[in-house]
Amino acid sequence: MNPNFYSLKVAEIRPEIKGKATSVTFDLPENLSETFRWQAGQHVTLRFHLNGKEQRRSYTISNPPGAPLRITVKRVAKGLVSNHIGDYLKPGDTVDVMPPFGQFSLTPDPVNRRTHYFFGAGSGITPLFAMINAVLKEEPHSVAHLIYGNADSESIIFSKELDKLKTDHANQFTLRHVLSALSLWSWVSPWRKGRVDAEAIKAAVTETPPVAQDVQYWICGPGAMNAGVKQALMALDVPANRIHMESFGGTAVTASSVTGNAANAQVELGGATHEVPVAADQTLLNAILSAGLTPPFSCQSGVCGACKARLTKGQVHMHARMALEDSDVTRGDILTCQSIATSDKLSISFDN
Amino acid sequence: MTRMYHRLPVDAYTSQDWFDREQQLIFSRTWRYAGLAEDVPEPGHFISVQAGLNNIFIVMGRDHRLRAFHNICRHRGTQLIRAVGKTQKALTCPYHDWTYDLEGNLISIPDEAKEYPNGVDKSCLGLKPASVDIWRGMLFVHPDPNPPSLVEWFGAVDPLLGPHKPEELVEYPDARQSYEIKANWKIVVENYIDVYHLSHLHSNTLHMYDHARAEYGWKGPHYHFWEPPASDYAKDLEKNLPTPRAIPEPHIGAWVPMLFPGIGLGAGEDSWNIFIITPLGPDLTRVENRTKLANASGWEFQKQEWSSWSFWKDFGGPKYPDSDAIGEDDPMASGDFTAEDIYACEQQQKSLTSPFFEVGPAANGESPVVRHQQAILDFLETQEAGT
Repeated sequence: MNPNFYSLKVAEIRPEIKGKATSVTFDLPENLSETFRWQAGQHVTLRFHLNGKEQRRSYTISNPPGAPLRITVKRVAKGLVSNHIGDYLKPGDTVDVMPPFGQFSLTPDPVNRRTHYFFGAGSGITPLFAMINAVLKEEPHSVAHLIYGNADSESIIFSKELDKLKTDHANQFTLRHVLSALSLWSWVSPWRKGRVDAEAIKAAVTETPPVAQDVQYWICGPGAMNAGVKQALMALDVPANRIHMESFGGTAVTASSVTGNAANAQVELGGATHEVPVAADQTLLNAILSAGLTPPFSCQSGVCGACKARLTKGQVHMHARMALEDSDVTRGDILTCQSIATSDKLSISFDN
Repeated sequence: MTRMYHRLPVDAYTSQDWFDREQQLIFSRTWRYAGLAEDVPEPGHFISVQAGLNNIFIVMGRDHRLRAFHNICRHRGTQLIRAVGKTQKALTCPYHDWTYDLEGNLISIPDEAKEYPNGVDKSCLGLKPASVDIWRGMLFVHPDPNPPSLVEWFGAVDPLLGPHKPEELVEYPDARQSYEIKANWKIVVENYIDVYHLSHLHSNTLHMYDHARAEYGWKGPHYHFWEPPASDYAKDLEKNLPTPRAIPEPHIGAWVPMLFPGIGLGAGEDSWNIFIITPLGPDLTRVENRTKLANASGWEFQKQEWSSWSFWKDFGGPKYPDSDAIGEDDPMASGDFTAEDIYACEQQQKSLTSPFFEVGPAANGESPVVRHQQAILDFLETQEAGT
């Protein structure tokens, strides 16, 4: 990944779901198009200076590759950055943006013939929307099924765009809404009432069983939903390597009872090796930043994967590791923002 | 000097060597038809199919995804399952009751501690995976767990196979049949794609279509063919179709492709049929037919039968008049194009071992026959280069 920020000009601001979310489209100069090439599902990190402090946030790119670079930001109650974007950002402003990255990505291929099931909730639609568009555009022999949970019909992001996809790609795309707070007065009648849970998943798969047998499952919602969907799929014998997921903010990182110890870490970064003292219960990322180094990082909640490093000696405990697949962990990959030391000596490397 | 039958040696149609080579290099290396999608309708259902040298079974998991495995117990090689069946969550070999889950993992060995005092690593003894996919409502298997994609294999010919959606049609069980032809499988294929014979062997059985206006060609090893209805039939086509339409108007004609190797389809305005050719020996071939029709009510079928009656009541008949027929069951007097084809294939095979056999010049309408022989040569060459 490229950890540098680039100043991009805002081309368009569009309120979504009555201003509760905001789509921001950036002008991408020709010379940056290669740097900012993305895979459907990847995100960008934005940097703002608000109230005298640097703030970084990761947002998923909500357009498929080839379309304009666009993010869609849902307002978080009292959220500093999301409300700043919704209230103050306007066309012509410039924003510092780090090039796209992230492992939750779908790479379409015209010779692939796959059945994709997408399970999303709320603003988890943003990567899924990009992925679905990529499939419909680039994988003519594949089909996409979206099961999308929201509180009510008013809060469905991209509602019109999804309806249009359904009309334009009737043979390739199905859309099912699951609404948890269904009002009697609602004009829309959803597929189901309730949540995207085990029952809904089973019903969806039975209703539209896979035709193409290369089946992939993509999940993006709040942490609790993701875990539930994954569990429900595994209960149906779906192999773990076919399940891909990413969670977005909202729920706090689970408090951990594991305590760390003080340690000395050898940190390989940018071709040099540094000795970094790590305090008990201090995250490796914080220890490395305190030592005056500049490692790559972004969301600081274990979601984005920007701060990933390889542990070559010693042991750590990770509070959360949403951004890592099991196979990454087996290889020794760690998220430094989530890792505390559990052995005295550590060696980690940010350089591949 | 090798006696040739156009591009191939005559041997290719008669010898055990050629048969073995084709089994190994063609039928064990390609996507093989295994049935219709509805043959494995629910989680737990399975079927097995012989695909060249491989016996492969397909089972549906609880996620409704199909899995394919080689039907070989990892213990002593016993075939695990029979042709068709249903299981709950596990597959047990009848010999020593070794049991596998639907992911192919070996989950239990009876008396494990006593019989294998030094331990046995069950994780290395899972069923060998194969591949399965569904295309145009049909199941296909491939012995390789990472095979070339069906899109690459059938993608180029796909748009030329007609607008049928077999998954939306309903099987007509009375038309399901399987029979053996005493001829090499290539004789059967090459009869299927011989455009020249349509107006002659089938002069009195298939003339509702206009063979003179047939359009045909190749996409890689796959042959595609379409012909419009003949003018008599087309004049009142909607009335003359024997059963309700299986494809929407204004599509008309007959699509009769032959996909490689030996996967024949035959689809018209009102039906969709498969013609699966399986070599059993150098001079013995099995053909399996299944038919699907429109998903329409009995009343719709009745109405169509009435409206088309006047066209079909005097249509067709024996190729040879009664006076020339040898007996009641003479295929040439049957008025049945399948009987005519079987007869022609078997009569041809009989001559191939004669020292006096010498093939005559191929006609324009036989260019697909020659091209199919080339496809065989090309495929064998690629496979031999790869091994």
